[in-house]
Amino acid sequence: MWTYIVRRLIQSVIVIIGVTLISFTALQMSGDPTYLYVSERASDEEIALARQKLGFDRPYYVQYLTFVANLAQGDFGESLSYRTPALDVVLERFPATIELTAVAMVIAIFGAIPLGVMAARRRGRPTDGTIMTLAIIGQSIPSFWLGIMLILFVGLGLGWLPISGHVPVLKPILEGHVLEGLRNIPAAVPYLIMPAFTIALFSLSRNARLVRSSMLEVLSQDFVRTARAKGLAERRVISDHALRNAWLPVVTMIGLEFGFLLSGVVVVETIFSWPGVGRLVFNAINQRDIPLVQTAVVIFSFVFVLLNLAVDLVYAWLDPRIRLR
Amino acid sequence: MKRLSTLVLAASLLAGTALAQAPDGSTLVIAQSTDANTFDPANISSRTTSNIAEHIFGTLYDVTGDGEIVPFLAESHEVSEDGKSVTFKLKEGLTCHDGEPLTAEDAAYSFNRAADPDLKFTGNTPGFIYSSIGFEEAVADDDLHVTLKLKNKSPILLGMIGEVFIHCKGSYEAMSPEEAAQTPIGSGPYKFVEWVRDDRVVLEKWDDYTLEPGSFDRLVWRVIPEASTRAAELMAGNVDVITNVAPDQIETINRSDKAEVVPVQGTRRIYIGFNQKDKFAETEGGKAIQNADVRRALQYAVDVPTICEGLLGTPCTRATGLVNPPRGNPDLEPYPYDPDKAEELLDAAGYPRGDDGVRFTLTLQSPNGRYLNDANVALAVGQFLSDIGVKTDVELLEFASVYIPLIRAHDAGPLFLLGSGGATWSALYDMADLSAVDAGTNYTEWKDEEFFAGWKKIEAAQTPEEEREVINEMLKIFYERGPWLLMYFQPDFYGISERLDWEPRRDEHINVTDAKLK
Repeated sequence: MWTYIVRRLIQSVIVIIGVTLISFTALQMSGDPTYLYVSERASDEEIALARQKLGFDRPYYVQYLTFVANLAQGDFGESLSYRTPALDVVLERFPATIELTAVAMVIAIFGAIPLGVMAARRRGRPTDGTIMTLAIIGQSIPSFWLGIMLILFVGLGLGWLPISGHVPVLKPILEGHVLEGLRNIPAAVPYLIMPAFTIALFSLSRNARLVRSSMLEVLSQDFVRTARAKGLAERRVISDHALRNAWLPVVTMIGLEFGFLLSGVVVVETIFSWPGVGRLVFNAINQRDIPLVQTAVVIFSFVFVLLNLAVDLVYAWLDPRIRLR
Repeated sequence: MKRLSTLVLAASLLAGTALAQAPDGSTLVIAQSTDANTFDPANISSRTTSNIAEHIFGTLYDVTGDGEIVPFLAESHEVSEDGKSVTFKLKEGLTCHDGEPLTAEDAAYSFNRAADPDLKFTGNTPGFIYSSIGFEEAVADDDLHVTLKLKNKSPILLGMIGEVFIHCKGSYEAMSPEEAAQTPIGSGPYKFVEWVRDDRVVLEKWDDYTLEPGSFDRLVWRVIPEASTRAAELMAGNVDVITNVAPDQIETINRSDKAEVVPVQGTRRIYIGFNQKDKFAETEGGKAIQNADVRRALQYAVDVPTICEGLLGTPCTRATGLVNPPRGNPDLEPYPYDPDKAEELLDAAGYPRGDDGVRFTLTLQSPNGRYLNDANVALAVGQFLSDIGVKTDVELLEFASVYIPLIRAHDAGPLFLLGSGGATWSALYDMADLSAVDAGTNYTEWKDEEFFAGWKKIEAAQTPEEEREVINEMLKIFYERGPWLLMYFQPDFYGISERLDWEPRRDEHINVTDAKLK
């Protein structure tokens, strides 16, 4: 088991370096970023001087190798637009994104299970049809449209929820102000509902369909028939026998879910003015703030790799037939 | 159902209590689309950051919304005979937000720090202002007098230094670069309280400020990137001022009774450049636009007021030159839309319609998404030109990585759409785009000898009246045979809460020290 974990972590370093190389090359291919950091009236000399100060006068491979060498020493470089260490800029916004993504994951997973189970148990009946129709609609709605509609109708029209903004919970806790973070929870929840639901709706719908089909497959298995034949209550048949077996494909999805939800936060954080990493990366790409983009990419990749590793471990625990090598 | 209602009610109450940054009698909330990036005064380069910084820092002189240049931290100034030394007398009793007295030494330090090559600052002050005024160094003569030494006489000095932020030497020498970027200690009417990245910047009125204070005790600068969210927050009463209202939201906001949209004729000059670089003369169309008569004919072909009303959501007056009103040549009238006259002039210039109805072909390049509705404006201009037989193909390009390098290399065109920042306080500032034939910002490579000779005459002018006369002559030349197809000054749309008495400025500066409740 430990050998497996260590090997996966070593692989993750290779993955992260590959990802940084691709993103670095893509940003370089998009043109000289110097123009974004000088006045529109700057002279050619001033542009050349700014290029030198920003380090873009060096060959591409030198810039990349310098970045990797510094990264190996834990130095992510300085953000070009914020003029402060890029790691600090990213880490400062990371808790807000984690809050949003975590709540969205909870909605997407724990909302999907009862819906999927209910649809499977009532297969072919109106409940099944309604849930699956809603799931298809949920998968079809683009998040930017849903977000704006929620703002207009729930936030502005009904006035039930705040339109935009954020009250921090995780950040004060991580900074050691645990009580402050916990005290903020009631105030933070209303701000979380609309953006988290907007991100989660697609995954919630997809997962509900996945749980349904997985459950349908398991419910037709012999061991379920046996469980019923020996007189177990239907609730226990579902929860103890069927659901645990139906979990496997869902757990696999969870690992990928985080990456998917992270890609969704870029749009949703922008619509709801959520001060997270998604919006930061979006702006950093527009500004060609290469150190900042690279830092976020490394951290995202690392978290993604760790989550997938965790999923593999849970997978083995759920299904003893699977052995990690 | 009852439980759901209770939950919703509880959530609403919590939302209300959590919204600590909502407007009230003493708090003004402004929403901009992007966050500040640094508050180090020597590194500030974006307008959104400058808008906030202008409330934290004072400057020696300032430009008002009407384009008047007025003393701010300075009381007066004296120019040496050769114009290369300008001495400012500071007002007495000034202090910085940490209580340190603000002296001439601090003012000199503020100027010199931004110019220090070791500190590698890339903000507007070292990156553009200093080269424009020929800054060499600043010297404190005594506690109240600071002298700026320049390479040559600068007629635009006072307006330009309206963006050089003054701060105290003691506090900034003690700060790390990170602290200087994140926790500014200023000299203006409001002091810095907190900056929650990508969320808000909070300022509080500085009690020891000896100059004209602001009306509100607290300013909250929120960051709301999405235009429809900004509009919703304004209509919900959660913000007082929003910037960059999308034209399609104007009616909705005005109908809300909570706020109104105020369109302002901005200072950014949108024009279609006629690129006269030699390489473009190889094509028939490129060669044609090197002829001043052809350029003049094309001015009559485009219906600019209709473009403004139809595509920008507001009426506008067509520009008569490259200088913002009211500092342009008052004798010039905007070109009318007169396609018949355009055709007549093109015939006379030797470019009749061919058998296929086409006189010559041009390519119009334009950014897509950089300026208000730029792509559609370019398409409309292309159609207007095609209508008089100048077949125009429109190419839409990504701004930052494709279009700007083309513009900088003078390779955009032969027609290109561009917006160039201007000012309300000086005709010369606006004309500086064409300060010399070989100026980097002469993107059209226009070489009119008579126009460029005007700069020598301006230098030799002895009085402001003489200078004005030369400027008017130059603007007339520009109007008659200049390298721009004259368009409009880009409108800006501000959403303003009904409770607020405040007028937005034309120059994209948001200064709310004069804002008050109705």
